[in-house]
Amino acid sequence: MFTKFEAIEQVLEQRYGKNRDPWGLEPSRAVADLKVIWPFYHYYFDVRVHGKEHVQDKPYMVVSNHTGQVPIDGMLICTAFATEIESPRILRPLVDRFLTSLPFLGRWSSEGGAVLGDRHNCLNLLKRGESVLVFPEGVKGIAKSTKDHYKLQPFTRGFLRMALASNAEILPLAVVGAEEFFPYVLHIKKLARLLKVPALPLSANLIPLPSPIDIYIGEPYSLPKSLSLEALDEELEPHLIQIEQKIQQLTEFGLKNRRTFLQRLKT
Amino acid sequence: MTIETAADHKMKSVLIIGIQGALAKITAELLIKNNPKIKIHGVDSREIDQMPNRSQLTYQQLKYTRTNFEKIFREHQLDTILHLGRLGHSPTTGNINKRIDINLVGTNTILELAQKFHCKKVVILSTHHVYGAHSDNSMFLKEDAPLRGSFKYAELRDVVEMDQMCTNWMWKNQNTIDTVVLRPCNIIGPQIKNAITQFLKTPYAPLPLDYNPMFQFVHEFDMANIIVESAQQLSTGIYNVAGDDVISLHEAAQIIDVKKIKVPIVLVEQLAKILTPLWQFPHYLIDYLKYPATLDNSELKKNLGPDIFRFNAKEALELLKSH
Repeated sequence: MFTKFEAIEQVLEQRYGKNRDPWGLEPSRAVADLKVIWPFYHYYFDVRVHGKEHVQDKPYMVVSNHTGQVPIDGMLICTAFATEIESPRILRPLVDRFLTSLPFLGRWSSEGGAVLGDRHNCLNLLKRGESVLVFPEGVKGIAKSTKDHYKLQPFTRGFLRMALASNAEILPLAVVGAEEFFPYVLHIKKLARLLKVPALPLSANLIPLPSPIDIYIGEPYSLPKSLSLEALDEELEPHLIQIEQKIQQLTEFGLKNRRTFLQRLKT
Repeated sequence: MTIETAADHKMKSVLIIGIQGALAKITAELLIKNNPKIKIHGVDSREIDQMPNRSQLTYQQLKYTRTNFEKIFREHQLDTILHLGRLGHSPTTGNINKRIDINLVGTNTILELAQKFHCKKVVILSTHHVYGAHSDNSMFLKEDAPLRGSFKYAELRDVVEMDQMCTNWMWKNQNTIDTVVLRPCNIIGPQIKNAITQFLKTPYAPLPLDYNPMFQFVHEFDMANIIVESAQQLSTGIYNVAGDDVISLHEAAQIIDVKKIKVPIVLVEQLAKILTPLWQFPHYLIDYLKYPATLDNSELKKNLGPDIFRFNAKEALELLKSH
């Protein structure tokens, strides 16, 4: 494990240098975090990454489904891109302002690479050659009651406009297994609004269960060059549907082939 | 009436408002160095002392009234106004009524008189505080970002209102007078006594443990130089002033190498009140220790060139440390 991280550390240092970037990423801190997350990633969640060959050494806009009540899925995707991809990188997840405003957690997440989900930030990061991770379902995606598990929520269009403006390729991605972290969940939306938090899941378990995770990376999707920056929503709609469908297909494939708790215990 | 273009504006007679400030003194020295024939008249509502002894420089303490300013405009045939007299945020100047009077009423009078007496150029020093420090601020705010400085703290109302008043006036009168509004990031230097410099230099000042926002710093010399260059070269507009490098608050404190007490932010605010005599940091700037308010400098660099800054943020902090 330590040899693996020494090699990753070297590659990341070459890519990011030693200093913080303007968004607060501290490369050495990010690597230290990876070392802490890795045992959970590898042993607890037993993450498998499929479709690594689709990732080249260039910036991407990684578009994923959002599941699991708490954003552990984002953390696992970032760990996969830093440790399992041929050209390791620190993915920059675009996060809600709620996270950036939190004490300790806001600081920790930005030092590890998270960035406020904002159009200027996204474009500036892509221009600098960074890869960003977006969850176009937003909070609606992650905060679902048990009956809605794995139902893809409607995507917002913002990410398409940013991909259009930056010419970045879109990498569709699906995480399968995260909904089982908290299998029995109830959302009390009124209470969440009262407490001014994005979501308030009430779960039977407090700690995420060791559900085996599969990350499926799809083939890159490029928006046609003929599409103007000011394209109408109707012109973007077919591309939005295609990306949604691609992620839905990856999810369904993953669900058919997923490992159960029992199978995992056997292995 | 024809007016000179911004690029060829030669200053002959300059009024500096807020001459008692360290930045104003450095600016006056730079102006004299660049043009020994220049005439500078400095005014301030505060008691004036430790002024550089230069034949080109005269100064006086006065109340910022219309009558007093009219007298100065009549007597000095001014072509350039450098308004560096915005009151800062130290608790000693914390009287909100006095600040509103000087920052709004005084500035309005000066702008009116500048036009009445056919001045060619007005440079106004605003601040990055107009944007406000918010958890949802983009990194690198452009000049057209909304001014949200007073959303949470009424104490910053006059700062935002002064900026808005100047920019409204600027666009309204752009055909008759060139006006430049500068919004600098944190100005630091051995002679500057603003809130952030005091914070960094004060031993055992509380440093938030749970937040580490990114900061930009401009050295006092670079700032003075940019004010001079703005008066000579910039055309009407708003310009953010910040270098290319961004540094975190904790890194900045580390470079200054003054012992700090690291505590959660909830305690910083309380300690700020208790330690006021020792640590003069206004509570309404605490958010700047939590969230970033960093500036996009592309407009300034496009007009003044990429090499306008002599010191980067680290060098500016090192220079502050060595004093």
